[in-house]
Amino acid sequence: MAKQSEKAASFNKNFKARTNRQHSLSFATCVHCGTCNDSCHYYLATGDPKMTPAAKMDKIRKIYKAQNDWLGKILPSWVGGGEIKSDNELEELKDIVFGSCTGCRRCTINCPFGVDTAILVGLARSCLVDEGVAPEGVLHVMKDQWEIGNQMGITPEEYIDTLEWIEEELQDELEDPEYKVPIDKKGADFVYVINPREIKYDPRPLQAAFKIFYIAGLNWTMGSVGWDNTNFGLFSGKADLGGHMGNLAYNHAKKLGVKQMVISECGHGLRSTKWEAPNWGKANPLPFEIISLLEVMVDLINSGKIILDPSRNQYPVTYHDPCNLSRSSGMTEEPRFCLKRSCIDFREMTPNRTDSYCCTGGGGAMSMTEYTPRRLEVAKLKADQIKETGAAICATACHNCVDGLSDLIKKYDLRYEYEDGKSKLVEVPNVCELVANAIVIPKEIRKTEKEIRDAVKGRTILVIDDEPDFVVFLQTLLEDSGFKVLKAGDGNTGLSIAKSKRPDLITLDISMPGKSGVQVYRELRSDDATGSIPVFIITGEVDFRQLMYQKTVQAPEGFLNKPIDKDLFLMTVNKILEKTIRNKHAN
Amino acid sequence: MGDYIIWENLGNGTKLVMNQLHYAGLLFMILAYTVKIYQLLKKPAAAEGTPARGDHKKAIQYAFMTLAMPWEIESQKRHWYRYLEFALFHLAMAVGIGFAFIVPIIPEIMKNPIISIFAQIFFIFGFVIGISRLLRRIVIAEMRTISTPDDMFCLVLLFLWMLSGIFAAPLKSEFWLFSYYCMATFFLFYVPFSKISHYVYFPFIRYYVGKHFGHRGTFPKKNVNSQQLY
Repeated sequence: MAKQSEKAASFNKNFKARTNRQHSLSFATCVHCGTCNDSCHYYLATGDPKMTPAAKMDKIRKIYKAQNDWLGKILPSWVGGGEIKSDNELEELKDIVFGSCTGCRRCTINCPFGVDTAILVGLARSCLVDEGVAPEGVLHVMKDQWEIGNQMGITPEEYIDTLEWIEEELQDELEDPEYKVPIDKKGADFVYVINPREIKYDPRPLQAAFKIFYIAGLNWTMGSVGWDNTNFGLFSGKADLGGHMGNLAYNHAKKLGVKQMVISECGHGLRSTKWEAPNWGKANPLPFEIISLLEVMVDLINSGKIILDPSRNQYPVTYHDPCNLSRSSGMTEEPRFCLKRSCIDFREMTPNRTDSYCCTGGGGAMSMTEYTPRRLEVAKLKADQIKETGAAICATACHNCVDGLSDLIKKYDLRYEYEDGKSKLVEVPNVCELVANAIVIPKEIRKTEKEIRDAVKGRTILVIDDEPDFVVFLQTLLEDSGFKVLKAGDGNTGLSIAKSKRPDLITLDISMPGKSGVQVYRELRSDDATGSIPVFIITGEVDFRQLMYQKTVQAPEGFLNKPIDKDLFLMTVNKILEKTIRNKHAN
Repeated sequence: MGDYIIWENLGNGTKLVMNQLHYAGLLFMILAYTVKIYQLLKKPAAAEGTPARGDHKKAIQYAFMTLAMPWEIESQKRHWYRYLEFALFHLAMAVGIGFAFIVPIIPEIMKNPIISIFAQIFFIFGFVIGISRLLRRIVIAEMRTISTPDDMFCLVLLFLWMLSGIFAAPLKSEFWLFSYYCMATFFLFYVPFSKISHYVYFPFIRYYVGKHFGHRGTFPKKNVNSQQLY
């Protein structure tokens, strides 16, 4: 018998020690009937016999057979048994359990026995991670969660900064200058726990949720720590990390004395925080209830605390069921309830609910860039599903799904033809964004709102950026949205045009040759002629937020990192201009 | 039409296999399964300590009932003939087991032509389906990839057992009866080591699957109108 490598021996030892009763049943019961073949998007999209759930699990099952099966111990080849022997085999196993399975559990639901592929993958992942055989992305995120307490390594300053940013946005949108995002508020009914992606890359779902809470008059708070609902304990199979992340959130919620912890729309966030981490972290029983934002919204709609006008979401909407919500948390009806009340045209995707196909971004796949080509190849199945609905919007209730779906929509160029003849890629918002968009603000005077929106059109925007391609890109975006555009390729020209033409808004790059964007910005602010022109910083390199935090520059009216999200960019432009018009009305 | 076997005239070998060896095999299988279940239960079970969203009892019942609800499992819904095949194959096995244990006690029962033809029909089903399952494992790449020698061997044994059952059921040939019991006895000794043991684990895995997905509110699968939520 060939000698096992050191890592292989350690892997085998841990594997044996960690195999529990449920693992054993899932290993021992499979009869290789092939029923699961139809359930796996990896197999269905590729047609590769090695991609069926049973074939993939056999790569793990063989270890169990060699360690536990009576025949497997004496005649392993007869039952397909065999322990891991070499580092190469560990690498092959890594490819299977990290790169070829998102742990979506579609095969589990559709297995006559209920062989739980996801827990077997989790077992193998945990043992591989201990040997350092795992995608770099996973290891990095785990490190960030252990050391910084959130998966994107967001500093407390950055966190607060973004919340303040949203606060200002909502002060404008809600026309309430007193509006505050509560942080560590004692006596709050619930603490809102989120996905760091909402802070780092896309605060729109956060803004939507805060708007809903405000209009419903809820007594809530954000936490200054333990605010990350994501948990790479689930994706790495490491219960110790899972327990650590859960306890960060639970301990802070206990300190705040809240009655509930509300989890933002994040599939694995809800699964790990509500179901798994209390077990991993030995935190049961918790003195508060853990619920999803979806459940909060259903309650608010039912109780009449928020009134929705579905005509505000007039284009066809479909819904993608996130695996961790539909199969692992039983949450299939709440999002539909919200969408059917906030959109005019809701269309079901087929199959749906517990039979929905994975978005391909689950199981931590978004952090494993080495598998992106394979992920996008197998995404064909989901792409076809979305295409068949003919929807303009594919809503979902999970941040991984938002990213996974956005990637596949780009890859397969899924578009919706609008009545004006323009075609746009299918949009992927969270459910709360559509609800927030449909919400009727009690004090809102629609006529004025419409007037303001109309007044925004035709306004002049000066684009200052040294990248000609990017200038053309912004120009096209803005002109297509009805704005007039002035252009400047450097800081001095920009300042000169700003003084002479007095545009309604300036978009400004920070990193430019010659006069830097920061200098230009300071000069714009200090000059009476340009001081009141709103500035929207769009930067690719310099961490401008840091300057704002250090108070070395005045906060601009808008801020976005390159590469930009077109919708977010246009939304911010509109908001800034609408705010300017409102201020003028007020004065 | 030949004559029925005269029970008293059965050869010693047939009697030995039908009675002593067969029951020894059964005893061995019971002991082996007891050990297997003991080994399984010795392993710690993951437990849900969180408040439940669904109903454990209903979900566990549902988990067991899905065996008889092919519409609940996508692949079976789509390939209904595979479900039919599964059902007939397992019924044939049940008839085979019944035959093996009833005949030594009340052989007269097989002299009723209805019962003997009924048994033969199921043995034919078992034989045909067994061969088709074996062929599928050999011919279809997806099935070949996941098949072990044990998978193949079990199917060969089963369809041969069913074949012998077809001829043994009317109780007119001692050769086939002897063959049938030899294989049945071999099964009793071999099954605890093979994948056929899956039926022993079935109640356990469905219990845990039902409990887990019931806890989360996933089982029973929802068939509700979200308009009626809350």
